[in-house]
Amino acid sequence: MQRNGAVPAPFEDAEEECPICHSKRYLRKDMKFMINPECYHKMCESCVDRIFSHGPAACPVAGCNKTLRRARFRKPTFRDLQMEREVDIRRRVAEVFNREEVDFDTLKDYNDYLNDVEDVTFNLIQNIDVEEAEAKLDAYAAANKQLIQSNMKRAKEGVDTFRARQEAAKESAQQRRKAALQEEEETRREEEEERRNLLKALDAGGDAEVLTRQSQEAMRYRAQIRKEALANEISANENANGSAQFTIRGLKKHVEKEEEEEEKPYDPFDGLSDKREYFVLQEDYGWENYDRLNKPEYSAGGYNIHEYYNRALCEAFSGLGVFIGDSSDEAPPAVASAGAALAAASPMSDDVF
Amino acid sequence: MRFHIEELEILFPYPRIYPEQYAYMCDLKRTLDVGGKAVLEMPSGTGKTVTLLSLIVAYQQHHPEKRKLIYCSRTMSEIEKALAELKALMKYRTEQLGHEEEFRGLGLTSRKNLCLHPSVKREKSGSVVDARCRSLTAGFVKEQRERGEDVEMCVYHDNLDLLEPHNLIPPGVWTLDGLMKYGEEQKQCPYFTARRMMPFCNVIIYSYHYLLDPKIAERVSKELSKDCIVVFDEAHNIDNVCIESLSIDITEDSLRKATRGANNLDRKITEMKSTDAQKLQDEYAKLVDGLRDAGEARDEEAFMSNPALPDDLLKEAVPGNIRRAEHFISFLKRFIEYLKTRMKVLHVISETPLSFLVHLKDLTFIERKPLRFCAERLTSLVRTLELTNIEDYQPLQEVATFATLVATYEKGFLLILEPYETESATVPNPILHFTCLDAAIAIKPVFDRFSSVIITSGTISPLDMYPRMLGFEAVVQESYAMTLARKSFLPMIVTRGSDQGVLSSSFTIRNDPSVVRNYGNLLTEFCKLTPDGIVVFFPSYLYMESIISMWQGMGILDTIWKYKLILVETPDSQETSLALETYRTACNNGRGAVLLCVARGKVSEGIDFDHHYGRTVLCIGVPFQYTESRILKARLEFLRETYRIRENDFLSFDAMRHAAQCLGRVLRGKDDYGIMVLADRRFQKKRTQLPKWIGQALPEAESNMSVDQAVAVAKKFLKDMSVPYEGLMQEGISTWSLSDLKRHQAKKEVEEIEQLQRDAEMEGLEEANGNGNGVVNGNGNGVGNGNGNGVGNGNGKVVDEFDMDEDDEEAMMALDG
Repeated sequence: MQRNGAVPAPFEDAEEECPICHSKRYLRKDMKFMINPECYHKMCESCVDRIFSHGPAACPVAGCNKTLRRARFRKPTFRDLQMEREVDIRRRVAEVFNREEVDFDTLKDYNDYLNDVEDVTFNLIQNIDVEEAEAKLDAYAAANKQLIQSNMKRAKEGVDTFRARQEAAKESAQQRRKAALQEEEETRREEEEERRNLLKALDAGGDAEVLTRQSQEAMRYRAQIRKEALANEISANENANGSAQFTIRGLKKHVEKEEEEEEKPYDPFDGLSDKREYFVLQEDYGWENYDRLNKPEYSAGGYNIHEYYNRALCEAFSGLGVFIGDSSDEAPPAVASAGAALAAASPMSDDVF
Repeated sequence: MRFHIEELEILFPYPRIYPEQYAYMCDLKRTLDVGGKAVLEMPSGTGKTVTLLSLIVAYQQHHPEKRKLIYCSRTMSEIEKALAELKALMKYRTEQLGHEEEFRGLGLTSRKNLCLHPSVKREKSGSVVDARCRSLTAGFVKEQRERGEDVEMCVYHDNLDLLEPHNLIPPGVWTLDGLMKYGEEQKQCPYFTARRMMPFCNVIIYSYHYLLDPKIAERVSKELSKDCIVVFDEAHNIDNVCIESLSIDITEDSLRKATRGANNLDRKITEMKSTDAQKLQDEYAKLVDGLRDAGEARDEEAFMSNPALPDDLLKEAVPGNIRRAEHFISFLKRFIEYLKTRMKVLHVISETPLSFLVHLKDLTFIERKPLRFCAERLTSLVRTLELTNIEDYQPLQEVATFATLVATYEKGFLLILEPYETESATVPNPILHFTCLDAAIAIKPVFDRFSSVIITSGTISPLDMYPRMLGFEAVVQESYAMTLARKSFLPMIVTRGSDQGVLSSSFTIRNDPSVVRNYGNLLTEFCKLTPDGIVVFFPSYLYMESIISMWQGMGILDTIWKYKLILVETPDSQETSLALETYRTACNNGRGAVLLCVARGKVSEGIDFDHHYGRTVLCIGVPFQYTESRILKARLEFLRETYRIRENDFLSFDAMRHAAQCLGRVLRGKDDYGIMVLADRRFQKKRTQLPKWIGQALPEAESNMSVDQAVAVAKKFLKDMSVPYEGLMQEGISTWSLSDLKRHQAKKEVEEIEQLQRDAEMEGLEEANGNGNGVVNGNGNGVGNGNGNGVGNGNGKVVDEFDMDEDDEEAMMALDG
């Protein structure tokens, strides 16, 4: 009955009545309820008009002495008014505590932050230590004004890009559908044509079997081409989409530290020198086997017997100055101390809890 | 009979083997050797199960690593049948080998079927049995007992703890009945025996759901190792099973119950805070580190489990804002309230999970991440609170599962809100369908985890559709023809009535009196000529009702009544089973009956009409799906977008697999015979989509007949069939003894060698004068001949084909040489 009605209004039961004027929905089908976020007492639209049209007045619900203004009345989103209030509080909190996962170094920090925010929110909703919670909220807002602003901006941008992407996806889906239909049409037409051609050819005379096979092959070939073209198109589309919208979101990484180090010329060996400590390379070791080989007819271009001596000696002495016990102890402390310094230096001021 | 396929010795528990069984085994072995997925179609009634089992068991015993077999089937009766076959097979192996192999085969089914507890087993509904069982067997109940509290426990379950955990039941094959009996004797719970013994079994036989439904699979099938061989039997409907296992419907009523559940939890938390706050604190501390650790080893009694969450996510810590129990409850309540608000809309909405999430965030400040942890967090909470009456929280669990799924998958799902049940309804009864569109999602873990997966059924044509829809690559894709000594089934496509008017159930003309009358004539004629039972399939209940009422008006039913008893399938399963029983009686006592049923109903799946229970099957109209359904439309669109399957291709594929399933109902073996009539003009074009074994028996001439032609052909066929016919006549053609098989193998070998020689020759020739034309012919010849031998010969001279067969073979050899 209301199926095609102009207003797709939420349906309510007929028994519902306005707590102020006690008129029932059964008699007034178009009754709408309003609430005011001051006290969340619901009343029907006509009551609001009647009571608040001459400026602010007290809430007509017995025991609630809040002064309400008409301008702030609105339609509730949820049936459960408790939920309505909760969501309003959440909106307020979310406007202040708007950091995201990307703002944190570790997952644990983020989760702790979320936990604390939820604590504040929960207390506000359940009316537990409201003042303390409010104080926390205000303190955080005051301390992080800048951050909040920039995060808000970022969130808005996120929503906008999402909308845009959604639109684009819809658009391309429509296009693909059109293309698919077109392709189907095309195939049908071609098949028709091919058949006509075949009939014509048969009519003109010729080996039926050969002609049929030819026509089938032509069809198959064409289908193949079409398929390939389609595949190419799809992959091209996907590539385009992917490159345009590729974003990575995740935890923030430690990147600040490295910039502070002085610029030095690049050292590929990371401070290691190739100076020999344990031996001095002689001109000649006087071993006849090698002397015999050290003739131009045996060696290839660029071969140098000294390279060989050097390598052999290096292998012989390598490992001499390295003590396993020392080395395993030595390396980690350097790294750890660096980590500690890093941790100490990182700003902790934005944490008010 | 014992024989070898390559190096593998097979013990086949029957003295004869069908040629297609042998071919099936060869392909199966090839798949197992290579490792990969296979799609195999073998005609119904040719002993698929025993073939599969005997090959795989032989394979297991031959190879030292003893890969486990997981055999999934669809219904209880099929599971029972498979277990019985396995038992017979193992008995035969013991006899032949002279010693008993160390072997365990177990079947698993629901608690309801396996319970022994004196009061629980009397419960009617499966979910009640599950819930009561959990409350008697859960881990914390035991803890409470140990603390000295007075709680009821299940004796059968407790006794299991006294046994060695890996030897709860002696080796052997246990049918479900056997398991129950053993459990009763030893006073141990059959269900948990089977569950706990699964890692130690060689063969497990259970229903699809234990592997596909992520909510169950995680609990039941988690410990199965990667090298298991997974077989899905009767898999023609596997994509729908996959989709159903991930789809959720939410109604206003379930939301109401969910709210009640959330309130109960809230109360429980407050209670616990005052009595045992430490426990909540412990849970909180654990959750800081991560979900998985909090759950410890997730035990088999767990309340529910997470639907298809990626593993890396489970190791992550729970988001801070749902860590505390009371925060989580408020979170759930907010989500439910949001859903309630959404349900009030009076027009149809369909949206993607992404846009749902954005709207959700706008209204309630619920982020995606905590939503994703919803199901898991709820499990943890329920465990902490030690709740026993879990069934009360079922709706809440459903909502939590929905939350997790919607936040996990961006693609392949769609939310559809339908405020009215039917088009013409005026009272809103909103349903929120959260439908999975992509069958590949549910089956992907199975494909990823197990290297060998075999999908098989009697009707799974066209074979390439399944790999496309389920997102895998098949290494072997085969459809086997049925070798018959005589043509024992007669498929026909009837396109015109006797007056040459079209026969079609297409929407525009389906209620045309002349079409209906022609269908009526077709049925009357076949009722006249067919002995015993006829089964008729309609595309839908609606169409069936309208056509039956029109037949009543035309007096057609009165005519049929003279020849057959008329029985009708209804959506009510009890009525239908009564009708089936009556139908059987009427077929048995010679009155004969016609059963009118629906192609997608209960009868078309899983009920066999063997021998005189079904001599003719009539398929009136192409059983297309109801295309106006929004869910179907969404799925079609998804298939086109993602897998490049055109709408019409899918619809026609789906219709034809149901039609083939219906046709397959009447032929359940090689000694059976039956007529299969497809009565619609549109079947003519879809002929190629029928399974190979049906398509092969359907010549061009019989695919465009009028009713009177069909009647004449059918009469002749029945006359042929009425000639006495002995099993002996099938020897060597459609059944092979050991010597036949040996001969076949030898022939194959010779062929192979010759083929190799010819190839070598051809290369030589090509090198010599660049002309390799003539040789290719020989090859085609050999194969064609082998095929023709089986089918073609059978028709006419079956008298002493044993000799003839040999002659023929010699002739063939000569030809080949």
